Amino acid sequence: MRILVVEDDDIAAEYVRKGLMEAGHVVDLAPDGELGLEMARAADYDAMILDRMLPKRDGMSVLAEMRADGDSTPVLILSALGEVDQKVEGLRGGGDDYLAKPYSFTELLARVEAIGRRSDPTAAVTKLKCADLEMDLLARTVRRAGKNVLLQPREFRLLECLMRNAGRVVTRTMLLEKVWDYHFDPQTNVIDVHISRLRGKIDKDFDEPLLHTVRGAGYRLQA
Amino acid sequence: MRAALIKLYRNTLFRLSLLGAVFFVVALIIALGNVYFLTISREIAQVDKSLAAEVEEFQEILETRGLIPLGNEVFLRSGSGDRHYLLTARNQDGKDMVTGNLGEQIVTLKRQEKTVLGEEGTEGFTKVDFILVVPATDTNPASDRRMRGLSGYLQIDGKNVAAVVASRDVEVTMRTAERVKNAIFSSSAIALVLGLISSWFVSRKFTQRVEAFNRLATDVRAGHLDRRAPRNYSEDEMDLLAEHLNDMLDHIDRLMKAMRYAGDSIAHDLRSPLTRLRTRLETAASEIKDPLAQETLFAASDDADQLLKTFDSVLRIARLEAGERREMLSEIDPKPILDDIAELYEPACEDVGLSFSSDIRAGHLISADRGLISQAVSNLVENAIKYTPKGGAIHVSLLRNKEGRTEISIVDDGPGIPEGSRQRVKERFVRLDVSRSEPGSGLGLALVDAIADLHRATFALEEGRKSGDGLRPGLSARLTFPRIRKQKQPSVQLAQAAE
Repeated sequence: MRILVVEDDDIAAEYVRKGLMEAGHVVDLAPDGELGLEMARAADYDAMILDRMLPKRDGMSVLAEMRADGDSTPVLILSALGEVDQKVEGLRGGGDDYLAKPYSFTELLARVEAIGRRSDPTAAVTKLKCADLEMDLLARTVRRAGKNVLLQPREFRLLECLMRNAGRVVTRTMLLEKVWDYHFDPQTNVIDVHISRLRGKIDKDFDEPLLHTVRGAGYRLQA
Repeated sequence: MRAALIKLYRNTLFRLSLLGAVFFVVALIIALGNVYFLTISREIAQVDKSLAAEVEEFQEILETRGLIPLGNEVFLRSGSGDRHYLLTARNQDGKDMVTGNLGEQIVTLKRQEKTVLGEEGTEGFTKVDFILVVPATDTNPASDRRMRGLSGYLQIDGKNVAAVVASRDVEVTMRTAERVKNAIFSSSAIALVLGLISSWFVSRKFTQRVEAFNRLATDVRAGHLDRRAPRNYSEDEMDLLAEHLNDMLDHIDRLMKAMRYAGDSIAHDLRSPLTRLRTRLETAASEIKDPLAQETLFAASDDADQLLKTFDSVLRIARLEAGERREMLSEIDPKPILDDIAELYEPACEDVGLSFSSDIRAGHLISADRGLISQAVSNLVENAIKYTPKGGAIHVSLLRNKEGRTEISIVDDGPGIPEGSRQRVKERFVRLDVSRSEPGSGLGLALVDAIADLHRATFALEEGRKSGDGLRPGLSARLTFPRIRKQKQPSVQLAQAAE
C-alpha cells in the first residue's frame, strides 16, 4: 500500500515510516497540516495516517477539506486526545478509524491495513472465505470443510471481524472495539478466553489450525 | 434521657463551665460562712464571755460577802431582760435555799460541754444549751426559748456551797443564725442550678460551633476539599480557628491540585517517549533472531504496555474528575450493558474455576454513559475474578433497592477488604499489602470511584457473601444511582413539537 503519514513529531514519524516500510508498504511523510493536504491532493494514496494536532493546519480541518473535495482516501486519525467523545468526533469528521496515543506499532499497522483500500471493509460482501472456512453473512452460517460450525452470536461477530481481516493481525483492542464496542482495555485476558472458545469450534477437529496467536500483537486468521 | 445526660457530661465545655459553677458555689459558701462567723458565732461567744464573767462575779460575792447577799444579787438580776438564773444552796441551818427565775419553768437540756473558767477556782462549770418553755400569758402564747447557760458549783475553800445556772435567752440570735444558714443553703443551691443552666447553655452554644468543625472534618475526609468552616467574623477564638482552618484547607487544596496537575502533566508528557520506547522494543523483538533475547524484548515491551495503561488510567481519572463528560450522560436502561459484561466475563470465570451468576432486571432507567458504566462494572468484575480463589462465586445484579434507586452490585465470596481500608482503596495508587503481589496499578477502584462521582452515584464497598467454609467474608461492590428527575410536563412540549 502507498501510505501518507502526516505527523509533526519527527522521531515518531520516522518510526512509523520505518515500521510500515518493513511491513512492505510505501510511505510518504508530511510534517504539517498544509503540506499534508497538498500531498494528499497530489497523489492517490491507499491509506493516510493523520495526527490531530499539527502545526499550520490541524488534522480535523485537513480531513474536512479532503472530504469536501470528494477525496475518499481511508484515514486513520492519530491523537493524544484519547477519550471516547473525541474518538466519536474524529470518526464523524470523516475518519475511518481512530487511534489514541500512546499506541503500539502493531496496533497502528493492524488498523491501517484494516482500513486500506485493498481490503475495503465497507464493500457489500455477503460471503467471506479463508482457506476451507466459509462464512455466509446473510444466512449467518459458518462452515469448515463443508461441515456446519455452530456459533453463538458474539462468536459469529468475532469470527467475522477476523475473517474480514484474514491474513492480517487483529489486535485485542480492535476486537474489543469492533465486537464488543468497548473503548477501554480490560486488565485481564478476557479476549483470549473467547478466542480459545472460538478456536475450539473452528480448529479443534481439523489438522490445519487457522486461528493463530501473534505474540505481542493479537490474532491472525490465516491458512 | 440518660444517654443525653452522658452526652452532655462528655462535652468538654459543659464540664469546664460546670467546674466553674462548682468553684463559684464553694466560694459563695465560704463567703457566707464568713458572714455567719463574724455575726452569729461572735455573738454567741460574747454571751459565753459575759456568762463566765458573771459566774466569776458570783464566786467573788460568795467569797467576800457570803451566801445570802449572793442570793439577793441573783434574785435582783433574775428576769431583767434576757437573763435567767437558778441558784440552789444549803443554808447554815440546813434549809434548802432556791432563788432565780428558772426553776418554775420546764427546761429541756439540749447539749452540755465541760469547760474551765478563769485562771483559777471555778473549775467544773458546764456550758449548757437548753430550751425554756415559757407558759402562755394573757398577751403571749406559750413559746419555746433557746437558752445558753453556764452551770456549776460555787465553792468556798474547795467545798461546793451553791449550784448555779446563769443563762441568757439567745432565741433571737439563734433565729437569725437559722435564717443566715438557710440563706447560705438556698443561695448556694440557686447558684448551683443557675451554674448548671448556664453551663448547659454555654456548652450548647459552643457545641453548635464545634459541631460545624466536626462536620467540616468529616466532609473533607470524605473528599470534599471545597468545604469551608462557617465564620461569623466576630474575630473571637472560634472565628479565628475557623479562619485558620480555612486557610489550612485552602493550602491543602492548592497543594493537592498542584500535585495532581503535576502528576497528570507527567503522565501526559511521558506518553510520547513511552510510545517510542514501546515501538523500538517491538521492532527490535520482531527483528532479532536469538529466541532468548526476543523473549526478553517482548517482556520489556509488555512492561511498557503496562506503563502506558497506567498512564492512560491516570489521565482518564483526571478527566473524569474534571467532570467534562457529565453533559454526555443520557437516560438509558443499563440492562444491555450488564448483559454484555456478563457475557464477556462468564467464560473467563469458568476458565479459572469460579461460578458466575447474574440477576439483571430490565426497566430501571438511569442517567449514564454506556462506555463508562461498562468500564466501571468491568473493573469491578475483574477485581472479583482476580481476588476470589478457585471454587468461589461471583454474582452480578441490577435491581431497584428499597429506596427506589437503581443499584448495580458485584458480590463475591473472596477475602474481602477490611472495614478500615474500604475508603482508602478507592484512592489512586492505593494497594493493600495483600494485593501487592498481584499484578495491577492500584487505579481500578479509583477509576470506578471517579466514574461513580461523575454519575452522582454512590460507590460502596461492603462485606459480600460469606464463603462456604465461612473463612472469607467476601466483598460487595455496589453502585447506587440517583433517581432520574422527571421532566416537567413533557406532554405539553410534545404537543407543541407536534404542531
